[in-house]
Amino acid sequence: MEFFEKLMSIDRRVIFLFVGAALIVPLFLDIEQKIEITPEVQTLYDAFMELPPGSKVLMTFDYDPPSAPELQPQAITALRLCFDRNLKVIIIGLWPMGPMQANLALETIFIEKKYLDREPIYGVDYVNLGYSPGNELVIQRMGSSIPSTFPRDFRGTPIEEIPLMQGIVNFSNLDFILNLSAGYPGTVEWVQFAVDRFHATMGACNTAVQAPLVYPYVHTGQLTGLSGGMKGAAEFEVLTGFTGKGTKFMLSQSFAHIIVVLFIIIGNIAYFVTRGREKEKIG
Amino acid sequence: MKAFSHSLISCCLLGSILLATTDSIAQVECSDSVPSPLLPPSEVIAEDHPGDAGGAIIVRWKLSPDEAKRITGYEILRSTSPTGEFSSVGFAATGANRYVDANTEDSLTYYYKVVAVDVNKNASESELSPPARSSAQWFNFHLLNLLIIGGLICGAVIYFIAHAKKGKKLFLRRIAGLEAVDEAIGRATEMGRPILFIPGILDMDDVQTIAGITILGRVAKTIAQYETKLNVPTSRSIVMSTAMETVKEAYISAGRADAYSDDFVHYVTDEQFGYVAAVDGIMVRERPATCFYIGAFFAESLIMAETGNSIGAIQIAGTAMPAQLPFFVAACDYTLIGEELFAASAYLSGEPKQLGSLKGQDVGKIIAMSAIVIGAALETIFAISGSSLFGSLAELMHKLFSIVAG
Amino acid sequence: MDSVFSNTLAAILTIGIISFLYKDNPLYKFCESLFIGVSAGYWFVQQYYANLLPKLFDNLGITRLLGAENVADGALQNLFVRGQWDENLLYLIAGILGVMMLLRLVPQIGWMSRWPMAFIVGSIAGLYFITYFQSNAMRQMQNTILPLNSFNNLVLIVGTVTGIIYFYFSKEHKGAFGGAARVGIYFLMVTFGASFGYTVMSRMSLLIGRLDFLFGTWLGLVK
Repeated sequence: MEFFEKLMSIDRRVIFLFVGAALIVPLFLDIEQKIEITPEVQTLYDAFMELPPGSKVLMTFDYDPPSAPELQPQAITALRLCFDRNLKVIIIGLWPMGPMQANLALETIFIEKKYLDREPIYGVDYVNLGYSPGNELVIQRMGSSIPSTFPRDFRGTPIEEIPLMQGIVNFSNLDFILNLSAGYPGTVEWVQFAVDRFHATMGACNTAVQAPLVYPYVHTGQLTGLSGGMKGAAEFEVLTGFTGKGTKFMLSQSFAHIIVVLFIIIGNIAYFVTRGREKEKIG
Repeated sequence: MKAFSHSLISCCLLGSILLATTDSIAQVECSDSVPSPLLPPSEVIAEDHPGDAGGAIIVRWKLSPDEAKRITGYEILRSTSPTGEFSSVGFAATGANRYVDANTEDSLTYYYKVVAVDVNKNASESELSPPARSSAQWFNFHLLNLLIIGGLICGAVIYFIAHAKKGKKLFLRRIAGLEAVDEAIGRATEMGRPILFIPGILDMDDVQTIAGITILGRVAKTIAQYETKLNVPTSRSIVMSTAMETVKEAYISAGRADAYSDDFVHYVTDEQFGYVAAVDGIMVRERPATCFYIGAFFAESLIMAETGNSIGAIQIAGTAMPAQLPFFVAACDYTLIGEELFAASAYLSGEPKQLGSLKGQDVGKIIAMSAIVIGAALETIFAISGSSLFGSLAELMHKLFSIVAG
Repeated sequence: MDSVFSNTLAAILTIGIISFLYKDNPLYKFCESLFIGVSAGYWFVQQYYANLLPKLFDNLGITRLLGAENVADGALQNLFVRGQWDENLLYLIAGILGVMMLLRLVPQIGWMSRWPMAFIVGSIAGLYFITYFQSNAMRQMQNTILPLNSFNNLVLIVGTVTGIIYFYFSKEHKGAFGGAARVGIYFLMVTFGASFGYTVMSRMSLLIGRLDFLFGTWLGLVK
């Protein structure tokens, strides 16, 4: 009994230590973990695979560095998949730092051996139109005219001088949208405006916090596939056959989850045992 | 109830964590014989896209007879003259029999052809479509159901607001978390420690922030009577000035204008985590006895609620952000869940607009519940009996709520 | 050399913030103040360069008027020099509303700031009414009308209906109605538990990101 009482008043820093160790140690281990593929990520991957070469994919980077550990691996995988399948990528951001995250992802990809000889050409294979303020109103405006919403790319080049943007007027000229989102504005707004109002086809990569919020949209078919958090990133990597940070960090995730699960079980046992004892005392 | 809720959350948390830790070869029929010529799609029709602001034409066609065997998609060609040069405007996937060309000019007449494309890049062109011209319409009949149901709810809201304005009493059920507000303020007064009020991190255009500020007014009025210190850090400048006005009015109406200070409300930063770092700092240094988190929250919710918990403060939260509610439920003493926040705001303010809106929304909930129950019953009877009558009725229910893609 | 310095600085700041887990300390206080100051400054600069400059000053032609050479003529030049109507002139209304918002700082005419607020709240409410109603109410309801022939469908329908009952405020939660509301809150708790699980995963990911930076990018111990 005393043990459980002590457990109930355990210093939170002890728990932090355990969790910290569970996260750090696996970073140094070389253990392969089996990643199960969920139907939502499979649907997202299939959506990319069904696009014919040359299709235009809009990738919206609606996150900033604090969410990068979860979303950057997903962005890298999606970009690689697009370049490998010769899909044309148009990058925008509703978050100020989003397009910069896209550039960081591109830098990571372009130093890979396979891209050194045949690096995708800016303006032809991909373009970064930068950030536009206005949150969901930007999506609304893109539904009428993408060139007037983004008159220049992030380098300042007028959109009419960019080969990839020729003939692109609104969402009807895009074959798929991939939204990488960490909050507002993000997937919810893209579904409400681009999908439900302008009937675009869209998939999403979300932080794990956001994922439960957007699951109902997968159920209704408003979203074509969803990849949530680091687990989603790992699944996406497994499907594309590329081992990135998503897969690498899943071991740390799993170790930490085990620790958290153990603490929850022990904590609940201690809570109910000590509560029973309190009742006895009162009785 | 709270213990049970915590256990339930724990069980589900365990479940979801455990869940989280755990190419097909296309069969191509080969044939040595020369393939038969690819058959084109037929009956190509082009017409104005209805119910829009113009600038769009729908192209429809009958699928190629070779659809199932070899088609990979359909290319849509367009020209402004039947004998002119046709250029590609888009590509429809295999199985699709319609395409919306959303880049047309209303002043021009267009002609379309649909080209079936197979795996070997063979193409087969359809006959020319009849001429089509896009135009704008004043009314989108596809959204008529939205207008009717929305109109019903809005009508109910307006009716109840008018009802409340006449001074007639509108019944609202008791909200448990509200009773804790006075108790929490009293505790802070007894301990001689300040009260921290966080009105969320979104701006005044978010209805949750407005509800948070309304509740702040009520909290400030009680605090003014007790002479307890109030601290309201905000992450938006407009929220700061609105909160300042609200607190000032509360102090004046409590007859304690002398006790009011502009320092009660202050701006920190718009940056989410910068704001959290500051609030955490305030918590551990000032050690407030009571913390209110009422408004719209994102990832910062858990960090703040956890820090508040660690300093032993009584915590009352309220938000309609579904992703943040679990943390508040776990770390706070009382939580106003979702719409309870607006109910609390209406209840405390007694404002006809807020009360009427809430009652009007209840009408919307009755519509939703009835539709789901009736629709599910019809679907179930149809699934069991196979009766076409029930099948049609169930279909009708679906159509009532469907948003047609033009 | 540059990256070594910036990585070391970032590492010190990361450690400073994480040190709060042990207890409040001077390093955390320093990092906190630095973060608040930098972020407030960043937002100011960001708002100017992403909003005011390109959307208002450039579009209206004010930057051109002030002598900037690398920008095109704006709406004012088109109107007064060429005599052409330019739709960017509408930004003038936005600019006026923006100035009215700042009038809050002048107590005598502070009431004028309520007009732009009314414009924002009104237009956003109108926009949201349609989008939320369409995406989050109509579409979701349509997909909840299902036959009760599977356990999943049963859970979905019972969960939705009892959840709505819990948020029905016009009737006291008593008797059968109260019972249904209680079932509704249990469904909510289950949802919260699942959501909490996802958040644990999310927070761990963020920490892994920082640890990878500390042990990989900074110290080079992890490949």
